[in-house]
Amino acid sequence: MTALTHAELGGFIADRVEIGVFAVDADFKVTLWNRFMATHSRHSAADVLGHNLFEVFPDLPRPWLERKVRHVQALRNYAFTSWTQRPYLFRFDHNRPITGGVDAMRQNCTFLPVKNEAGEVVQVCVTVQDVTDTAIAHEELAASMAEVEREKAEQRKLIGELAQAQNQVLQSEKLASIGQLAAGVAHEINNPIGFVNSNLGTLASYVDELMVVLDAYTGTHDQLPEDLKAAIDARIKGVDLDYLREDLVNLVTESRDGLDRVKNIVQDLKDFSRMGESEAAWADLHHCLDSTLNVVANEIKYKAEVVKQYGTLPEIECVASQLNQVFMNLVVNAAQAIAEHGTITITTGTEGEQVFVAVRDTGAGIPPDVLKRIFDPFYTTKPVGTGTGLGLSVSYSIIERHGGRIVVDSKLGEGTEFKIWLPLRYPAAKPTAG
Amino acid sequence: MSTALFSEDQRDALQELTNIGMGQAGASVAAVLGEFVQLSVPRILVLKPNLIPPALERIVGPEKVTAVRQGFHGDLRGEAVVVYGVAHCRELADLMGYDEALDEATERELLLDVSNVLVGACLGGLAEQINAEMGFSAPSLMATEVEVASLLDVERMDSPCALFVEVNFSLEKRSFACHLVMLLPEDQILVLRDAIDRFLASL
Repeated sequence: MTALTHAELGGFIADRVEIGVFAVDADFKVTLWNRFMATHSRHSAADVLGHNLFEVFPDLPRPWLERKVRHVQALRNYAFTSWTQRPYLFRFDHNRPITGGVDAMRQNCTFLPVKNEAGEVVQVCVTVQDVTDTAIAHEELAASMAEVEREKAEQRKLIGELAQAQNQVLQSEKLASIGQLAAGVAHEINNPIGFVNSNLGTLASYVDELMVVLDAYTGTHDQLPEDLKAAIDARIKGVDLDYLREDLVNLVTESRDGLDRVKNIVQDLKDFSRMGESEAAWADLHHCLDSTLNVVANEIKYKAEVVKQYGTLPEIECVASQLNQVFMNLVVNAAQAIAEHGTITITTGTEGEQVFVAVRDTGAGIPPDVLKRIFDPFYTTKPVGTGTGLGLSVSYSIIERHGGRIVVDSKLGEGTEFKIWLPLRYPAAKPTAG
Repeated sequence: MSTALFSEDQRDALQELTNIGMGQAGASVAAVLGEFVQLSVPRILVLKPNLIPPALERIVGPEKVTAVRQGFHGDLRGEAVVVYGVAHCRELADLMGYDEALDEATERELLLDVSNVLVGACLGGLAEQINAEMGFSAPSLMATEVEVASLLDVERMDSPCALFVEVNFSLEKRSFACHLVMLLPEDQILVLRDAIDRFLASL
């Protein structure tokens, strides 16, 4: 048994190592082709040695490889390729004929300059390392990372939805208590209004009777004895009896009108705040709009003139108190958008199977970046304390629950229009709801 | 941070050696790229790890960067980082003679290639000057389009201080520029110092 020389050992290892090793000279003539290369390429060393590399392997990326080798020669330095950018140099079968996972062996290559005694690069040696397993593991990891990211995004979305739902609960609870308060106050006001109204009725008839009596007395005035007449004239002096008689009747009539208005307001408040009511019922949207406009009349009367362009609307099945909320939001927002004085136009009508209500203002308009977010919960552009940032998001969800949609169209400096479409029927409750 | 690990003479010698190495590097890079390369005079600092990111930021400026790192080993062991401004990154294809628009993988391969060329040339040049044998590991992408300050994770650096050698590349005819930073851990600084001493003694 003879010991191997150092060169023999080196040659043996270079040939048998489980890494592809080959070398080419300046003309790409193959000068070394180890067993790994022979096995995987199915071209034996005898087939390849002395031949031009590109003639034996026409599929190689020739311009790229030539440039790479030229760099190694010029710089007398290493160069590398990584499977992450270039999956393989040679298309070899991978080591997973059964389990699969990739189309071909993934390779990391190193180009090393082979120098002569003078330090000149005479050949370039290339090692081809099989990194298929690493590549597959890496790709699996990347896939699961992507999956985790996707799940995270989904969770963020769910959390957002949850927060929105919670906002709505808060808002509707708030509105419910405001509604209860309003209904309570309305009820309390109704009682005194009731007796004042009935008293005024009685007062009106008393006044009529008194007038008749007074007329009778006035008729006999001239027939009275002089001293009595003088005494009465002294009393009458300074009193414009004719005006008093006329105005007394007016005062009573006006007071009764005033009371009627209070009664209407109370009725509107009650209509508006039917908070216990969440069942859909058939309602006239024009009636809803009018009662809402009455409720908010004070807030808008100095800002805008309200123009009603009502079309013909059938009754629709809806939760009127909720729609009132929406209308109130839109009208109040419209008024707030108007800086000095403007017009709020409310248009209604039907389109196909749906009815629509549009609220248009001649206000400042909404900038595009704000427009994207106006239906987001808690988004507000109003000063701290004036807006909750919930109005439009609640409106949005109410309309959504009605199976309708709400869209906004705004031009800066010209104004904004919110348009709501509603179906005639309230959508049937989902069996899973609640 | 002081450069007390080096005497004035050693520092000057290192500066000079690096400069000569870079000059040779410039010549060979020019041969590869077909353009004349301008290299700054290397600036040498010994820095604590937490001062490395600010030093990088000073070189590169506030723009976002893509960076490639490459390890070297042998008589000297350390890492080189090549930092590209995002805008310059796109000029690479043109520089390397690609006409067509490149897909992402090709573009990254190109980035790694150019980095390898620059690192190999510069460090090879220096190694030759101090008679050091040096090998290189494959370059890898550190980060793409990030803030300079977030490139290096200071927490993970073991060495109490590092030699920071900065060289700036630019091309005469184009606006392309990039920055190469060679980082040596503390124990390697001592190796380098001995090598410089031997060099000085041989004069």
